[in-house]
Amino acid sequence: MAAYAARRALYGILVIFLVAVFVFFALRAVPGDVVRIQLADSPGVTEADIAKRTAELGLDRPLFTQLFSFLGNAFVGDFGRSFQDNQSVMSLIGERLPITLELGIMALLIGLLVGVPIGLISSLRPNGILDQVLRVFSVAGLSVPNFWLGLMLITYIALIFGWSPPINYQGPTQDLGANFAQMILPAIALGGAVMASIARMLRSSLLEVMQSNYVRTVRARGASRSSVLLKHATRNSMVPVFTVMGLQVGAILGGTVILEKIFSIPGMGSLIFESVQMRDYPVILGSVIVYGAVFVFVNILVDLMYGVIDPRVRFK
Amino acid sequence: MTDISTAPGLAEDATTTTTTAADGARKPQKQRKEGRTVGRFIRTQPLGAIALLLIAIFVVAAVFAPLIAPFSPTEQFRAHFSDAPGGDFIMGTDHLGRDIFSRILYGARTSLIVSVVTVVVAGTIGTVLGTISGFFGGRWVDTVFQRIMDTLMAIPGLVLLLFIAALLGASVRNTIIALSLLVIPAFNRVARGEMLRIREEPYVEAAKVNGCSTLRILVKHGLPNQAAPLMVIASLMFAIVIIAEASLSFLGIGTPPPTASWGLMLSDGRQYMETAPWMVVYPGAVLTVAVLAFNLLGDALRDFLDPKRSR
Amino acid sequence: MTAQTTHNTAEERPAASGDTLLAADSLVKHFPIHKGFLRRTVGQVKAVDGVSFEIRRGETVGLVGESGCGKSTVARMVTRLIEPTSGSITFGGADLVGMPRSELKDFRRKIQMVFQDPFSSLNPRMRIVDSLGEPLVAHGLSKGQSKVDRVCELLELVGLSAKDRNKYPHQFSGGQAQRIGIARALATDPDLIVCDEAVSSLDVSVQAQVLNLLRRLQGELGLSYLFIAHDLNVVRYISDRVYVMYLGRMVERGAAEGIMAEPQHPYTEALIGAIATPSGEGEERRIRAVANGAVPSPSNPPSGCHFHTRCPFVMDRCRSEVPPLYELSEGRASACFLREKEAVS
Repeated sequence: MAAYAARRALYGILVIFLVAVFVFFALRAVPGDVVRIQLADSPGVTEADIAKRTAELGLDRPLFTQLFSFLGNAFVGDFGRSFQDNQSVMSLIGERLPITLELGIMALLIGLLVGVPIGLISSLRPNGILDQVLRVFSVAGLSVPNFWLGLMLITYIALIFGWSPPINYQGPTQDLGANFAQMILPAIALGGAVMASIARMLRSSLLEVMQSNYVRTVRARGASRSSVLLKHATRNSMVPVFTVMGLQVGAILGGTVILEKIFSIPGMGSLIFESVQMRDYPVILGSVIVYGAVFVFVNILVDLMYGVIDPRVRFK
Repeated sequence: MTDISTAPGLAEDATTTTTTAADGARKPQKQRKEGRTVGRFIRTQPLGAIALLLIAIFVVAAVFAPLIAPFSPTEQFRAHFSDAPGGDFIMGTDHLGRDIFSRILYGARTSLIVSVVTVVVAGTIGTVLGTISGFFGGRWVDTVFQRIMDTLMAIPGLVLLLFIAALLGASVRNTIIALSLLVIPAFNRVARGEMLRIREEPYVEAAKVNGCSTLRILVKHGLPNQAAPLMVIASLMFAIVIIAEASLSFLGIGTPPPTASWGLMLSDGRQYMETAPWMVVYPGAVLTVAVLAFNLLGDALRDFLDPKRSR
Repeated sequence: MTAQTTHNTAEERPAASGDTLLAADSLVKHFPIHKGFLRRTVGQVKAVDGVSFEIRRGETVGLVGESGCGKSTVARMVTRLIEPTSGSITFGGADLVGMPRSELKDFRRKIQMVFQDPFSSLNPRMRIVDSLGEPLVAHGLSKGQSKVDRVCELLELVGLSAKDRNKYPHQFSGGQAQRIGIARALATDPDLIVCDEAVSSLDVSVQAQVLNLLRRLQGELGLSYLFIAHDLNVVRYISDRVYVMYLGRMVERGAAEGIMAEPQHPYTEALIGAIATPSGEGEERRIRAVANGAVPSPSNPPSGCHFHTRCPFVMDRCRSEVPPLYELSEGRASACFLREKEAVS
């Protein structure tokens, strides 16, 4: 197991490294000089200024030197400074990342809390009326665009309950109530797809387990369907559910970009969006790499968990 | 009965026609493993049939938009800013006085064009790469390709799209390029998985013994046997691409205005949600239905084409 | 197999013409085992450990042994689906082992293979006219209408109707499908056909039909066969000479009749002994686990003579020394120390 874990972790690090390389080269492939774009707005810019700034940013060095220094810095967490306000990229990310993580975790929890019961109920009486309804509901949940759901939630909750989430962000340590109020709607909007995926996967996994010989033996001894479902089948079926959650993390991370914008939440999503609009390349680079790292990390966790549950995976 | 027997992997029924013509008598049905025709599909997968219907409506609306739309999507009626649905404007007008229904029809065009081009082009590239990768599984070709794909897949979808769109600028063409980076790895993964399985099959060994070149094996034995999962993934990719295009347009880095795109309409309507909710409700609903249709189709195909899954 | 088992008398079989068609010398195939963190190679599975044999023109050579003895690996080496780790395979004067792929294609015409399961060795999505025609197209021998004509010819040759050429494999029965497999092997007019458990997945009554077909074709077309099986009765029925394999090594060789009547190796004896006696009419004859335990794993074979752990005649010598293949009289050979004194060479 340790060998498997080490291998998996090493591979994950390799992928993050490759992401950084990719991002670096993609940026350099863009037509147009970064410096010119950045300085173009300021009045009275001369060639000398441009040359000076280029040297400052180290953009006049050979490409591979830049690459190595970029990677070396990235390794210790130094992604340079934002073009806009000269704040260290890492500190910016450090401020924003926990907020996004909080949103993501809330979305996952909502997905889990709603999705698991739905999956369970669905499989109690497969192909019954309730099951069919829930299945369509699940597919719909997957199909609704999360940003539209967010918009609709704001509007109709305002219309019906006369309540809107706060605009100014407050951390959970400052004001838990306000924080929750602001985060709950986007978390629901993000969680919709998670809920749907979990419900579907759990249902299909449960049905498969229920057909297995092991369960049939237990039922032959007189256990009722629902007790078998709850006690025996659920534990075995949770494994693919975790895999699905791992995949959904990618969708959630992507979704945070739009939803944070809609709900004025100052997280990584807003950061990357603003920096894209402002062409703040150091921030863009750092954000993409960090997003990638988070996703890779989650995937490693899922794989490791799989390795614990199913020994065959370790010896592939 | 119409049948899609020309599609690879679905040709079992064609023999019935041949032998029926030859003998003039019907051959017994029980000999065939599964009859995979459209008719049977509709009968056994009702949700899939509904999905096909919805998709057909979507395609018709998109293709014939200029004929169906009552107004031009860009014409602004200054006397009718933010009109509620009713009268000439069955879905109301937006803040610039443009007819929402017409814009939705033209938006369907944008979605259709982007999704078809992306899925076809990127799907083909992904399939070819995955087939080659899977066939040479374990050798350096596979390793290199897979590292590249893993790198692309490590970045969450929208973030990657944002990044590429930031680099290239907002346009329909760039949207397609960015979306391709999402679609290629998905097809690659499916094709590779299938190929890894297929290359162990005895008929591939037999083909080698018969002197078939690698290319021939890939084309004649590899691709046709991948048809089923590829169809499923294609359907799901359509759903993903349509949402992704809408997301990018919503953020302002996808389809540039004034071209109609559902995502753009949602972004326009955002400020007017309380006063003119129809600006947001209709495009969003249509978007949901389109995506739903492709998801349902993908599900139905998956159930239909895999004899083991009978749920 | 019972009522239809006949002995191969010299009059019934066409005489082998004597020249060597294919000679394999000291074939070895090791598969590496990967374990550990960096997937280091920690050992080898010695699937084939120094096997030599020859096939003469017009004869049927049987290769018999239990599962895991390496006979399928030998089949794959002869058709070059797998590369031998060492050793040589001489065919028509050329060594197949080092041969570059471009030259190899010619030899693929001359050496063909029939697989165990016709339903998985025929592409289920291809009509049999295309499956049968594939070797023709691949070698540029014919296409279009001439391909269809040749396919019809082949179908008739194996006793099927040419009308069925547009059907799919699953529309045929097991025996018919295997005939199609044989027809495909005949397409390029080969000299040698390797039959890898070609009748093992068929019902007993059908087995006899297919075996008779193979014999008939041999007579009509002058083919040679390398017939690989685990069922000793089947092998005896169709082969001229038989090689017996155990855990990657050759342990006995001889004419088919002689081996059954007078086995010269304890393993062969055990194989024969495990076959049900004729009172089991109509039952399939299967080789069960031999006396004294189960077959050891090929990744960790016993030292010395591989069979010593299960041999009823084991001596001390057998545990440490590997018995060579002693040449005995009348073209027989045996790798057992018990035969040392009778060795001719």
